[in-house]
Amino acid sequence: MKVKIRFFAQFRELLGTDIVVEPSSGTLVSSLIKEITQKNKKGYDAIFDETGKFREFVILMRNGKRLDNSDANKTKILDGDEIAIFPPVAGG
Amino acid sequence: MLSQRELERYKRQILLFGEEGQEKLKKAKIFIAGAGGLGSPISIYLAVAGVGTITLVDKDVVELTNLNRQILHYDRDIGKKKTVSAEEKLREINPDITIKVIDTTIDERTAAKLVGSSDGIIDAMDNFPTRYVLNDIALKKYIPLFHGAIRGLYGQATTIIPGETACLRCIFPKAPPKEVFPVVGVTPGFIGMIQANEVLKFLLGTGQLLTNRLLIWDGMKANMDEITVERDPDCISCGKNKRPMEREK
Repeated sequence: MKVKIRFFAQFRELLGTDIVVEPSSGTLVSSLIKEITQKNKKGYDAIFDETGKFREFVILMRNGKRLDNSDANKTKILDGDEIAIFPPVAGG
Repeated sequence: MLSQRELERYKRQILLFGEEGQEKLKKAKIFIAGAGGLGSPISIYLAVAGVGTITLVDKDVVELTNLNRQILHYDRDIGKKKTVSAEEKLREINPDITIKVIDTTIDERTAAKLVGSSDGIIDAMDNFPTRYVLNDIALKKYIPLFHGAIRGLYGQATTIIPGETACLRCIFPKAPPKEVFPVVGVTPGFIGMIQANEVLKFLLGTGQLLTNRLLIWDGMKANMDEITVERDPDCISCGKNKRPMEREK
């Protein structure tokens, strides 16, 4: 199966975007993102905390719908999924 | 009624909205939270468009480090209250509208009174705790909230219609960490224009608002993306589990 991972803003700078991967069936959303982000420590650290959990402010979207960060550990990736990972900005 | 002078001043946009539209802008009361990077371009463009009453709130003093982006304030204003500096410029930009400035902090205690009976609240803040306060008061008073935020060359914006669309907390349940954010003036200029454009469309009742959509601007790539967002039934600000403070009406 094929899935697309899209990183936004600073995450994009660190990790690139529109990454198409072919995970094996049953792969969890969190595991897949961890695997992809391993290649860049800064990118990984921006998204995951020291315990390997998603940082609480990171926004995850699956096919345009919000995916709760804690649910990403239980949600399996499906063929054709598009996962967006976005860091909100706060300046003004 | 529009005066002869106003008909002349707004001639080119009356071609777009008609006199009736211009009247709507004239009657409108808009609350802008913050006279900084976002608040500067937003207030300038709403003032020139003829939004009748603009209330601008800020608690800070103009500093040299503000001047790369806060275009309402000039070098000569360093050390002045931002409200004083902003009022001076906006009155000069358009003496035909009413400018109100309030030098204070927006928090849970002051927000309701400050916002009053505005037709729209513009989020031109630089931190999420105050944004959540604005979100809560917008929900409580059923006043639309026009959100914008920036960092570096990135920005985001969305329009919130209380009771109808995702609220700020549905979209951002947790605040990003506090930091001294890097910024170049073009980014708040860009996002501020999206917010001001939304306000004008809302007041005129025209076009399609940026509701239930989060616009994401990537200035590095000159690319704009959109993420569909929806109300979170468990949202602590507008969902079934909202906190007691938000339950009052």
